[in-house]
Amino acid sequence: MDRFGEVLSVVLGALALAYLIYEIDRRKRKLSDLFHVLGSEEADISAELVGMVESGELQPYTRAGRA
Amino acid sequence: MARSPRRPGSLRRETAEAGLPSSAAVREAGVSDPPIQAVPAPISGNEKPPAASRFRIFIVDSGWNSAARRVLLENFALIRDLQKEDPIYVLNRERSIEFMRRHGSRIGRDPIIAVHDMQALGKGGTTGFHGFRLSLGLLRTPHQALMGLQAFARFLVTHRQSADLEADIRANLRREGLMGAIEIAMHHEAREIGE
Repeated sequence: MDRFGEVLSVVLGALALAYLIYEIDRRKRKLSDLFHVLGSEEADISAELVGMVESGELQPYTRAGRA
Repeated sequence: MARSPRRPGSLRRETAEAGLPSSAAVREAGVSDPPIQAVPAPISGNEKPPAASRFRIFIVDSGWNSAARRVLLENFALIRDLQKEDPIYVLNRERSIEFMRRHGSRIGRDPIIAVHDMQALGKGGTTGFHGFRLSLGLLRTPHQALMGLQAFARFLVTHRQSADLEADIRANLRREGLMGAIEIAMHHEAREIGE
């Protein structure tokens, strides 16, 4: 009976640890999805935005411009 | 001349002055309300950002009827006032939709606020680290979206002079991850970003 209790404790402990690791990883991915560092993967997209600014296609937002 | 104290509702009036729909208008308009529109007029007078702005801010919003979008609309004037040193480029609905069509994996994540670090862009172009983006549309509740927007504004203001923005961002993300782990271990509720 004692042996069974020990095994159960180990299994439950392992499950708790696995859940903790899973949850941390899930949150980490969610956070990096939400707040993402721009690097070489986004080079094309960023270049597109830079191009729009440099070509004058995009102008800075101004309240004055609204009047 | 000293500026008069802000009265309740003045932000909404400013938003309306800026051409953005009020929250009531947004609620009434529902799905068909217009997105933030790009302004074709050039910058003028005292509003001109310094020539050497640290950041360039881009807002892409294709117009989903979402809590995140409403929060952005209602707080846009404040965001702009907080970031007055940096130009904000708002892609209009048509441009945003075209953008989303070209980059389909981003659909549903907008409004997206992308920040280009001009210092990093000047050093390595777009091939290395050059800024960050906040996918506000991933935040489903108004409270989460507001927290995200506030964290974004706080980060920009407090890191304007940063010598290594990339290291600061990664350190922040690590800290958030660690705090999240501690909170999971302590059975606390999900932690909002930015605190």
